[in-house]
Amino acid sequence: MLRASAVAERAGVPTASLVCEGFIGQAATTSVGLGLPGLPTALVPGHVDVQSPEELRRNVAAVTVDAVIRNLTEAPAAVAGAVVEPAPGDIVFEGTFDEVNRYFYENDWSDGLPIVPPTPDRVAEFLRFCDRAPDTALGVLLPDKRRATVWNVAVNGVMAGCRPEYMPILVALIEAMADPRYGVEHSGNTPGAETLIILNGPLIKELGFNYEQGALRDGIQANTSIGRFWRLYLRNVAGFLHHRTDKGTFGNTWRVVLAENEDALRRIGWTTIAEDEGVPGGNAVTISRYTGGGVIASVFGNTPDRMLPYLADAIVGKVGWELLFTVGMGVGSQRPLLILSPILAETLARGGLDKSALKRRLFELARIPASKLEKYVGEWTNFMPGRPKLTDLVKAGQIPAVFAESDDPQRLVPLVCRPEDLMVAVSGDPLRTNAYAFAHNGILGYPTTKPVRLPADWSRLLREARAR
Amino acid sequence: MDALWVLVPAGQRASGEWIDDTLRARAAEKGLLGRSPRAGEFPRQRVELVRGADPVAAVNRLYQERGWTDGLPIVPPTLGRIDEMVAAGGRDRHASLGEVAPLAGLATVEKIAANAVMAGCEPAYFPVVLAAVEAILDPAFNLRGVQTTDENVAPLLVINGPVAARLGINAAWGALGPGWPANATIGRAVRLVMQNLGGGWPGAVSFAGLGQPGRYTLCLAEREDTPWPQLHVELGYRPDQSTVTLLRAETVINVTGGLEEVASVMGSAASLFGILHSGKPAVVLSPLTARRLHADGWTRAMVREALFTRGRLDAATWRGSWIRTAVRASDWPGWVSAAAAHGSIPAVREPDDITLVVAGADLPIPQHAYCPSWGYPPCRVTRVIPEAGQGP
Repeated sequence: MLRASAVAERAGVPTASLVCEGFIGQAATTSVGLGLPGLPTALVPGHVDVQSPEELRRNVAAVTVDAVIRNLTEAPAAVAGAVVEPAPGDIVFEGTFDEVNRYFYENDWSDGLPIVPPTPDRVAEFLRFCDRAPDTALGVLLPDKRRATVWNVAVNGVMAGCRPEYMPILVALIEAMADPRYGVEHSGNTPGAETLIILNGPLIKELGFNYEQGALRDGIQANTSIGRFWRLYLRNVAGFLHHRTDKGTFGNTWRVVLAENEDALRRIGWTTIAEDEGVPGGNAVTISRYTGGGVIASVFGNTPDRMLPYLADAIVGKVGWELLFTVGMGVGSQRPLLILSPILAETLARGGLDKSALKRRLFELARIPASKLEKYVGEWTNFMPGRPKLTDLVKAGQIPAVFAESDDPQRLVPLVCRPEDLMVAVSGDPLRTNAYAFAHNGILGYPTTKPVRLPADWSRLLREARAR
Repeated sequence: MDALWVLVPAGQRASGEWIDDTLRARAAEKGLLGRSPRAGEFPRQRVELVRGADPVAAVNRLYQERGWTDGLPIVPPTLGRIDEMVAAGGRDRHASLGEVAPLAGLATVEKIAANAVMAGCEPAYFPVVLAAVEAILDPAFNLRGVQTTDENVAPLLVINGPVAARLGINAAWGALGPGWPANATIGRAVRLVMQNLGGGWPGAVSFAGLGQPGRYTLCLAEREDTPWPQLHVELGYRPDQSTVTLLRAETVINVTGGLEEVASVMGSAASLFGILHSGKPAVVLSPLTARRLHADGWTRAMVREALFTRGRLDAATWRGSWIRTAVRASDWPGWVSAAAAHGSIPAVREPDDITLVVAGADLPIPQHAYCPSWGYPPCRVTRVIPEAGQGP
């Protein structure tokens, strides 16, 4: 909302942003990143969600209205000037390993685990794996509005414990982070969803990513350190910090990189995630934010008909309020992810399903009563005020006809707008019949895929790196 | 070689800028870098590591050269001490109490804690410091004026309620003098906050011509053992609540004798600024006098009334004063001109503008003090000091 106010203020239109009490601090820091540190806000005491209409009216009348009037009638305090930050090559600290770690931690540059000190030598080694100049801009990231550069990618990669040869992946990841489609500025929102990185291409094997047993578990350097890099970069460059710009109510630890089992995919003729997302031809990263997920244990059966009801039910079980992203905020942006172990994928393929056929079947089976979807977005939550009926939304042309095939409140409706909105990846223990389903965060972290560009002399560089 | 992890106690604006950049430029313009030769030279981070054979001395030297002390040695604001201080305050370390005028450094709990550590505060004092900082940030206090005026005004902190005894905030022997850690360090912490977060550097931003010793600290408690209700009860708080009341004190004038002598000092040129601004001065009354007056049937209100009635400045003195001619006639409040037409001007617009505080030792020779006020708007700002663990 502050972002909308910033646009209006820049256009010369006075604004008042109503901010619930718990968000005042975040509003102050966020408005700085928007370049309008004096952006006027009007306090709403407490949180509106838990107030009766009378309480809310009282609070607004006693506190908010005055502030709104001041916001709209008084000139915001002029706050100008640029913050001086260390230049890319500056030595910010010299000391022992322990001292460096404490210094970085106390200055909010670390996640609490030891970092690898980003010395000039180590950073230079990373830069060798990128053909672009260190000061190449990859984008500008909110909330701090800091420039993402090849240099600061390398610095955070060193700190996270990455190897230099991961650098091309790190650069591609930050290009994806900076893509407006992804929406990095939402990364501090209250549901606290976390990004999952999916890797495709020959790099999976060249760099030793795990794509089999324990695919989502830490413990393998490539998967683990790149996952950590993502969160460090959000902290150090985008500027998401606990208790300040981050309002994730719970959040969770960063996720390790999920690498697909492309041998299995090729055996059954299925496309990769990157190909599904329109980036064919090799190495690519896909980022997307998921609110949460869980395992689907012991999928039983040797035909799609036996297996699919359970898998569809598992997706239904994961997706609740996130249906907002199906029919409300960013219609059709809900993209649940199902990860199949290779043996499950192979069994489904043997039953005659390619990936798009599988998605169509899941689209048919993963359904809930229309009345329940309406409850998620309009009754149990206040995401869509006025408790709109799906039938009315269809009539208004806002959502696809599939949500109003009748007006029976108990009719079954899908979780997503189109079969293609479901995503299916293949990874994990090849011979165990388990799957994993993630609910998605819609436009607040939309799937974004970028190709990984390798340096011209990649083979030689990689050989040298391996020899060290 | 030893080392200390210390928090950078300097002010940072909401935009992320450090006020020291402004201060260095102002100090350089005024030729005042002799006091702070290394102004603005520090790592622009939350925390730094200071090494040295004697790291406490190294921190002291560095902080003095960067302009971060009041000239006295400071206690290094180490991270451990700050954690203790923050914990005692009961508030989130990143919470901001507001912008400290005039340079708008953010008064975050952590930054205030750093300055409180430097001032020598015990952690238990921190709720008092936080309440006092809240009070000086109240727009009614006009901190911008207090910081930048050429007058010598200083915040006067009056503590009431159970917290005074618990923390040993002196109300008796030498309550305005040295020797009492709470009085000395709480007032000093507020001064360091004004200096390091607000930028009140002498000569560069603060233009007080002479200053006053009260700018190191000016903090006392009220005696609880007089028959009168305490100041905070008069102001509407419960006896079991603790409060800090902030006044703007131009100076502290000792008056030995009785009410007549106090009235005589009030009805003098000492009150000229107070009259101009319709200000709220403080009168510190000796406990012995308070008891005697009470025994004779006097209330606090009667004392104020008597001081209002008797403490009058002769109109001719006012007319002949420097300030009378330096300020446009239209800037003088109507009540002053009206009173002058009748021959004399009271030291305050109305009796309740006098803040009466009972403090000092039980001396047979009664000692009082008059603290004339300075500045707009008339102000007496009180904040409740939460009991430990209760939060604000």
